[in-house]
Amino acid sequence: MELQNKDPLQVFAPQLERTSIQGYVWIVFLLVVIGIGFYAFLQQVYLGHEVTGMRDNVVWGVYIVNFIFFMGISYAGALISGTLHLFKTAWRKPVIRMAEFITIIALLIGPCFILLCIGRLDKLHYLVIFGRIQSPITWDVIAISTDIFGCFIFLYLSVLRDIARLRDYELLQLPNWRKKLYNVLSLGYTGTPEQQKRLNRATDIMAAMVIAIAIIVYSVLAWIFSVTLQPGWHSTIFGPYFVIAAVYSGSAVLIVCMWVFRRVYHLEAYITKKHFVAVGVIMLVLAAFFGYFTFSDYLTKWYGSEKNDELLIQLLFKEFYWEFLFSNYVGVLLPLLVVGIAKLRTITNITITAVIVVLALWLNRYIIVVPTLESPYLPIQESRAEWLNYSATWVEWSLTAAGVAVFCLLFTLASKFVTIIPVDGLQVEEKKEDVLV
Amino acid sequence: MKRVLTFIIFLVTMISLAFQPLTSFAEDNTDSTNTLAETKMTLNYLCNSDTVILTATLRIRKGDIIFGLENASIEFTASNGSISKVLGQSKTDQEGKAVYQITAAGLPADKDGMVAYTSNYTGNVKYLEAEASISAKPAKIRLSFSIEDSIRILKVTATQENEKGETVPIPSENMIIYTPRLFSLLKIGEIDLDENGTGTLEFPKNIVGDTLGNLMVVAQIEEHDQFGFVRDQNMINWGVHKQYYQAEVPSRELWTPIAPLWMIITLIIMLVGVWAHYVYAVYELIMIKRLSKKDKPLF
Repeated sequence: MELQNKDPLQVFAPQLERTSIQGYVWIVFLLVVIGIGFYAFLQQVYLGHEVTGMRDNVVWGVYIVNFIFFMGISYAGALISGTLHLFKTAWRKPVIRMAEFITIIALLIGPCFILLCIGRLDKLHYLVIFGRIQSPITWDVIAISTDIFGCFIFLYLSVLRDIARLRDYELLQLPNWRKKLYNVLSLGYTGTPEQQKRLNRATDIMAAMVIAIAIIVYSVLAWIFSVTLQPGWHSTIFGPYFVIAAVYSGSAVLIVCMWVFRRVYHLEAYITKKHFVAVGVIMLVLAAFFGYFTFSDYLTKWYGSEKNDELLIQLLFKEFYWEFLFSNYVGVLLPLLVVGIAKLRTITNITITAVIVVLALWLNRYIIVVPTLESPYLPIQESRAEWLNYSATWVEWSLTAAGVAVFCLLFTLASKFVTIIPVDGLQVEEKKEDVLV
Repeated sequence: MKRVLTFIIFLVTMISLAFQPLTSFAEDNTDSTNTLAETKMTLNYLCNSDTVILTATLRIRKGDIIFGLENASIEFTASNGSISKVLGQSKTDQEGKAVYQITAAGLPADKDGMVAYTSNYTGNVKYLEAEASISAKPAKIRLSFSIEDSIRILKVTATQENEKGETVPIPSENMIIYTPRLFSLLKIGEIDLDENGTGTLEFPKNIVGDTLGNLMVVAQIEEHDQFGFVRDQNMINWGVHKQYYQAEVPSRELWTPIAPLWMIITLIIMLVGVWAHYVYAVYELIMIKRLSKKDKPLF
């Protein structure tokens, strides 16, 4: 009751005004991880891709897996935030800002992993000069750059009201430069009916656009794989399969973010069990869809008994047995059971399940990329035994860890710049239990 | 919490037991007992003019996949059963192939003129030794070209040496005529040799050569019990001149520099549609900024 009478900005002020010692330690830790990643990157630049596990057969490895993973959670953030906004979902407020942050931050990190895959970064501009529209790589470049602009505009429209409130909230003790920045970024928004009308209209349009773009862009990413005649990739359902996998992994990342920020910023009054269950239910539905697509894809390959598909499935059930089991069985069944059974449906359980889903979906991308490249259609000329199998090196793992660290760092910094929950029109949740009866 | 962890462990155990491939145990045992990798060698023989070309291919097995072993030293020998002569050594390339060439004259042959060739790999700490052998009698093919009444005639003659060292014809054998194309040999026709070891073929007029019409013609006796592979080749200006055509209208295909129109139109529609909405959203932001100058603050 006490919180309900309080201005939400009063609650969020400490989050914006100061950083605790633990906060600084966390940031330093992330910077150290990023530093190690940067050293690994320099090694790769100076010594070439030989320092990675990628060779003539397996030309894509952990980097492309990270690219797909980060792009996936980015599009999931866009889809979830756009949908929640468009349908004016009642419980959306505490989670929508996190979904928007996930979208932008993951979208900035994902393409960096593609750059790490490219052997000749000095010729990167050739993509623009000599790019052919027929190439799915060109589609991806166009799609991702278009998506970045759209997501930035959507995020800006979403935070505009809060920036205006931060500008006008005099009790907030912030450095002058930040107040000036809020003043510039708020565009003089004062919440007049005309301004509200225009802002709502623009936000609605962009919410619809980011949903559409997310679907298109992630389908384009899937087509990079499916238009090639590689065993395991050449599939007509890869577009929707990738979209579902993306939203699935994104919903899990969102739950993890909710849990972290709830604990760190003490937002128990705003992010309640109801929100975890609501996003958990989204995750459950997506788990069912993901399981269906996975089963459908592998069943048709197995039943068709095409030689190379058979070899690939044998490889998945032999050398990649545990990865396949974890990603496609545990990763699908666990959310169905934990969220589906009322007794197991607690905040901790849902969060643990979300962490497992995130790992499972990362592995899912791994077993899509690597086993296929280890069993190509054509015998590659002058191949060697040591080139056949892929194993990521410390350079790749360091850069992967650095990518995750950059994600966490940008999320931390973003939560210091604007409130992690939209404060405009925010209300403390009344004590209501399970949304699923 | 404990309940969930127990449940997860149970779930993983059950699923893993259900799907554990039964064969994996047997394979593990096999792997643990075999310390040296299995090797396999094949030896190919080709007699081209007066030269014998021996090609040994050394392969190793890794799991279900077979690879060529690179940089392995292969020793080639020739014998007639009683006398053995080391011809020399050659190293394998990345495909596991070692090639050795030697003139056909002076090789130890038995009373029928047969020479037994052997290629040998001694092995090392990682790979088992391997050996392959083949027997063949040197033979020779000669190609000649002539035109009779505007008809192009290819004439082939196959000969061998008898026990006295005299050149005698190879009668009643089958010979195949090819011309090399980009990836492999294109079969032009077959010739059955007469008792004099000669045969003719009316050469087709529609085979494309290079820009000057030059064609390489190859004649081969293949997989013969006695002679193995025997080959000869010669160049002749009987091909159709290759011409490069410049299309008047550039083709729009998936693989051409210019994209198909439908693709460009689709891309333009999508990009214009998306960016128009972006522009509209930015326009609304500009209008919000303008409105702030004339409206009063609400909070």
